[in-house]
Amino acid sequence: MSESKSAGMFSGRESQGLVLVVDDEPDVRKVVRMTLEKSGYEVLEAEDGEKAIEEVKKGENSMLLSLIITDIRMPNMNGIDVINYYRKEWPSVPLIVLTGFPDMDMATSMLKHGIVDYLVKPVEAEKLRASVAKAMEQREVRGF
Amino acid sequence: MSDPDRTTIVILGAGKGGTALLELFSRLPEVEIVGIADREASAPGLQYADRLSIPTTQDLLTLIRHPGINLIVNVTGDPDLDHLIAAQKHPETEALGGAASKVLWDLVQHESQMQAQLFQAEKLAGMGTFASGIAHDINNPLYILLAFAENIREETDLATIHEQAKSIIDAGKRIQSICQNITQYARAAKARDATLVEVNTTLDEALKIAQFATILQDLSIVRNYEEHLEVLANPDELFQVFVNLMTNAIHAMEGKGTLSIASWRENGLGKISIADTGHGISKEHLQKIFDPFFTTKPEGEGTGLGLHNARAIVKKYQGELSVVSEVGKGTTFIIELPNSATQ
Repeated sequence: MSESKSAGMFSGRESQGLVLVVDDEPDVRKVVRMTLEKSGYEVLEAEDGEKAIEEVKKGENSMLLSLIITDIRMPNMNGIDVINYYRKEWPSVPLIVLTGFPDMDMATSMLKHGIVDYLVKPVEAEKLRASVAKAMEQREVRGF
Repeated sequence: MSDPDRTTIVILGAGKGGTALLELFSRLPEVEIVGIADREASAPGLQYADRLSIPTTQDLLTLIRHPGINLIVNVTGDPDLDHLIAAQKHPETEALGGAASKVLWDLVQHESQMQAQLFQAEKLAGMGTFASGIAHDINNPLYILLAFAENIREETDLATIHEQAKSIIDAGKRIQSICQNITQYARAAKARDATLVEVNTTLDEALKIAQFATILQDLSIVRNYEEHLEVLANPDELFQVFVNLMTNAIHAMEGKGTLSIASWRENGLGKISIADTGHGISKEHLQKIFDPFFTTKPEGEGTGLGLHNARAIVKKYQGELSVVSEVGKGTTFIIELPNSATQ
């Protein structure tokens, strides 16, 4: 791991990208934030889909949003519905699913829907970072 | 007065053997128990018979001489009594004593063990339903725990270390509590007499297990409890019945709906209802749901013994398990059990 600099909360200039983390557990969001900030990403947090939209609407966030990492079990919404929800709001933002639910069928079906990765908790920091890096590359290829 | 197709029986001896026989015979529609006698007023079988509204007496001879009896079963273990029965009974009455009643008692014991094993087997078969849910609920705190522990190895800021250590402990405790819930459910019911069971806490414990079947679902849960309600049953078995009914309800809703759980007192009974807003049960299925091995689930997903066992357990404690269902609207199961007031 190369952690030459700690990218603090406000590392705007050096930011690798703005990542929205959606999970109903504060400690899970904290863990993901911690992992990604070490690699220079900026992180937004939301506890559910509605809060996610609120959060992204703030300031210039919607312009900067590079990636969404989301759980697929949320109040009023589950599974594929969650994916479709973000797709409708932000069609071009890549999605990574991070869930405690190890389900091959679900993973396959979601990957077919075009998500970048289906990660099952507990996920190693390196694996999460690699997945995020992959999403960022895909984004660049698509010209964002 | 008596139905010619029914066998009229009296039981002499209300200890362990008499109680077990009484329990078995009272479940057989072909058998009418005319009475049970024991010289000891405190014999457990006499109290049990009272609850079943079966006549009891300490005067064995009255029962032996009782007219219209097909069979006297002597489980007192007293060989002198066999002689007294032979001398005093009506000529048309048959008597079972000595080695014969011992074999009968062994059979009853065997049957009761088999049933306990059946309850346990069905319960463990159902555990598969919860596997994904349990994995999900453990993986979340496990992730928190591992990630913070990993970070602490390199972290130098003391305040952060303290804060994350606390999160690690909290996550560990959550996993611990999940494991406790699962083991409580999975262990075999302790064989014991009916005791007063606190209904509401048992319902809440059962809900914790049944919720493992709700992963990726959006259900609201409404609870409406009567305070301090107690019923007479084996707590482990009652827990199993609750989990079974709640899991069925959750499955019936296929993702969306309301699970309503209520408890109340009525006519000296403790009542519990578990209702869903699921697909309901058709009339033709409704007649069969308590039959052993009846299932609408695909092969390998249900044993068809869940409701059968649930009803057997409730009946064992002189209760009733009934169901009301409407296709497209939902299903309500109602359990009635004697509570402390009727003791």
